[in-house]
Order: sequence, then C-alpha cells, then structure tokens
Amino acid sequence: MESQINLEFEDLKGSNNAKIVRFVGDLDATNVEFVLDKICNLMNEGYINIVADFQKLRYVNSTGLGVLLHFNKSAKEKNGSFKIANVNENVYEIIEIIGATSLLEIFDELDEAVESLK
Amino acid sequence: MAAHDSGYSIDLSFPGDLGYIPPVRKFVSEMLQANNFSPKFAYRSEIIVDEICNNAVAFGCKAIDATVALQFKVHSDRIELVVKDQGGSKEDRERLKELVGGKKVNQKGKEPKRTKLGLEIVKMLSESIDLEIDDNNLTSVRVTRKRDDMEVVENKE
Amino acid sequence: MVSATIENSRTEHSTALTIVHIQGELDSSCMEKIHALCDEILAKHAPFVIAEMGGVALFSSSALGGFMGSRKRLVESGGDLVLAGLSLEIKSKLNLLGANKIFRIYSDVRSAINAYDWEYKGKAETVNLSFPSELKFVPPVRQLVSRIAQQKGYSNRDSFRIETIVDEVCNNAVEHGMQGSDRNIDITVKIDRQKIEIQVVNISNPEKIRTLREMVKPDTNLAEAAATAGKRGRGLALIKMLSNKMNIDFSGNGTSVHITRFRGD
Repeated sequence: MESQINLEFEDLKGSNNAKIVRFVGDLDATNVEFVLDKICNLMNEGYINIVADFQKLRYVNSTGLGVLLHFNKSAKEKNGSFKIANVNENVYEIIEIIGATSLLEIFDELDEAVESLK
Repeated sequence: MAAHDSGYSIDLSFPGDLGYIPPVRKFVSEMLQANNFSPKFAYRSEIIVDEICNNAVAFGCKAIDATVALQFKVHSDRIELVVKDQGGSKEDRERLKELVGGKKVNQKGKEPKRTKLGLEIVKMLSESIDLEIDDNNLTSVRVTRKRDDMEVVENKE
Repeated sequence: MVSATIENSRTEHSTALTIVHIQGELDSSCMEKIHALCDEILAKHAPFVIAEMGGVALFSSSALGGFMGSRKRLVESGGDLVLAGLSLEIKSKLNLLGANKIFRIYSDVRSAINAYDWEYKGKAETVNLSFPSELKFVPPVRQLVSRIAQQKGYSNRDSFRIETIVDEVCNNAVEHGMQGSDRNIDITVKIDRQKIEIQVVNISNPEKIRTLREMVKPDTNLAEAAATAGKRGRGLALIKMLSNKMNIDFSGNGTSVHITRFRGD
C-alpha cells in the first residue's frame, strides 16, 4: 500500500547529462524507495544534473526529505547537481524547519534552476 | 468516546502497516479543515501525524497483529494528538525517550537518523511532545498544538 | 562466507510458510548452498519462503541468479520466494539488476508474513473509528474508507461504491441518531482480499428512529419508500443496491447497521 507519487521526465535541450523530473503527488515513507530507484537509475545512466520541479508535489515528510538530501549528495559526488524549483509554501516550511534550505539548491522558478546549469 | 469538556474527540485504530498512514494523515487533515481550521494548520497536523505514526509502526509494532491507536482531541484553544503502540525493544524505548527528551542520541551502529529528523520536525511544529510508557510497554506519544487564531478560517455563514 | 538458518515459524497455522535467515556475503561460491537449501525446503513441503536478509553484506549478480533459480523451483511447487529486511544499499544494487521486477521485497519479515496471510490465508484487517455525530465529518470518513480500500488493491470503481455506502450509512446515522459533538458514531471496517464489512453504530434518536424502522421492514418496497420518504429513503435503497448483505439492528438504545460488500472487479 503506497501513497501516490508519479515522476515525469523531460529532456533538457542542448544537454545530454541533465533531466527535468516533475514530482506529482505526495512523497513519504511508503513510496520513497520507488523514487530512490528511479532517480538513482537516471544518475547511473549519466544524467548527473537533475532539475526537480515540485509544482505538483503537495507533501513531503522527513523520509522524503532524507531522500532529497541523498540525491543532492549523490549528484555532487558525481560532479553533477540536484536542483529544486517551484516548492510550495508548505513543503518549503518543512525543509526550512530541518535546516535543509542551505543544503539544497532551491529556486523559485524552473527557468532559473535550468539557467543555473549553464 | 466523547469529550466531557468543550470540544470533541476522534479515536482511530488501524493495523501497524505503513500503508495505512497516508489515508490516516489525510483523514486528520480533512477532519480539521471540516472544522474551520486553515489548510496550513491542517497540513502541519498532517505532518505531525505522519511522523509519529511512522515511528509507531517502525518501532512499536512487533507482533503480527499489532495495531496503532490515534486519538485527537479538538479543544477551543488547541488540539491534542495521542498515538499509542505496543512498544518496541528496550533499546528502542531508550532511544525514543532520548529523542523526545531532547538529549543527545548515541547513534553507534544503528540508523536512527530518520527517527530523529521526524521527531525534530514534530517538536518544531508543536507546543509540547510527551512520552509515556506503562508497565506493559504500551507507548503513548502525546503532542499538543495550539490553535493559532491566525490559522482559523472565518466561518463563511 | 554465508550462513542460513531455516525457521518454520508458522506450523501452528500452516506448514506452507518457511522463514530463512541469511547472513554474510552472497556470491558465486554460495550457489551450491542455495540449491541445497531449496532442496531441504521443498522436502518439508513448505514452499512459501521469506528470505530474511538483514545480515547480508554482499549480494552478487551470480547469487541473484541462484535465487532466481530457486524461486522458479518453489513457484513450480506452488510456492514463492520473497525477500525481506534488505539494507538500503543492497536493495538499490539489486534493483539496478532488475530484482524488484521478479521478487517481492518487504521492509521486514513481519510485513512479508502479513502480505502472505492477506494473499493466501484470507486474513482480514480492521480499522475502528469513533467520530462526533455531525454531517460535516462524514466526507473525511468516507474518503478514509475509500482510500483504504484502494490501497488494499480494490479498483477505483469498487472504492467509489464503498465510499457511497459509507456516506449513506453515516448520513443516516447522523440524521436518525442523537446529534452533537458529544455523541459519537462508531464505525468498524473489516477488509480482506474478497470483501469489505462495514459496521456503523450510533445512539438512536427515538423521535426519528420510527421512520427508519418503517423503511427497513422486510416487506417495504424500498423504491416506493424512496420516492415518498425523500433523500434518506433513496440513500437506503442505494446502500441495498450496492451491498451484498445489509442488516440493521435496533436493539438497545443504539442502531447498528452491518454491510457486507464482495469485491467487484
């Protein structure tokens, strides 16, 4: 029994090592491993720069946050990056509470996050 | 089970399985919104329920048929959440006491990071968090969250 | 170096389930041992195997091949092989090798046993809820039950019908019962692979209960009653149409409605 989360992938023009990943739904303990698999697979395929669009991500708990921090760390280890955009107010508050706003690269808009790859 | 003072109580028990937690937390959020609590308050309460119940399932449900009991009481000035489970090992109990009490946790050899993060979030979102473990190892975590007037949605009637 | 301990922990209920605790490093040198283990399990006629692997530090692709071969043999004997308790690191590596497409993987042995009991032993799971008798609480309650049904594998359509049943029964309980935030309605949901049972108990309002009693008399034509009694009559008719069994008990000062609905698609 899992909470519903979907990931939608989009190529980034002019880049062969970056992807946009749209998170749709809730990220919690019941589906975090599914997300972990998908993103780790992506990184192993060479997409070491991930831009996560959180516009349709309603909810994240501490387990979900743990995994986001893990992606951030993994990407950096591969000389890549994990950037987050369009975080809603509620999710941002939780990230802020644990002090992860300085650890994660968070952008207001998706365009800004993509631009920062250059 | 009804409250005897102003306010009311809702009691829910469910199997100790992580998969029940998403419907349960959404239920709490929706119940609060049905009672004119703001979406923001409801969201924060949802997080609290999620984190406490995750811990209850992960550490307090050892028996095959273990269940988790959640009670939330809505008063005029606050809500109280109590989550009960059958309790974990001695090590789990000690770790939980330390985490709730705010003392430094010895993380040697174990992976309590997730638990710690979750309880830290709960502490930041609530006025108080208390732990009670009885002689039969029944473990209760009680969280109180003040009703913030700014978070109350005006009654549209 | 690997060690494996077999535990037949379910002999009191079933001889079909075996738990194997595996520790150490699983590599190509273990193939013979894995094969022999499988022989031993098949000889005991307990081919549903939960491999508890919390103590496994290494799981090579050749060992995975050995496990796949064992699973095939167990499945041919009417059983299965599932994995439990893997560390995150090992699980990630296995998933990269596609193991999650073949094996069901559980966070711990308890979850694996519960899944086995659900799937093969008809085990039911129960949720109990007590909430104040007010209409505004009914939508969250019906959504809770609907979401539980969905997440236990019931189809969207089935879950919607279940939601409707809960809605109508709870609405009736509020409208025919004593209302107020100090009066609670108790709902019990018991769900298994094949059916869902919903019981709703409330404290009756004597002034309103007479109408309800009339409507549920055996010789009452619900369709006609629905036409004249208004929305609650229609609600009862709907519940009856969507359920396989419906019992209403007026004994004591409470009303208890018990619904059974078999899983549809």
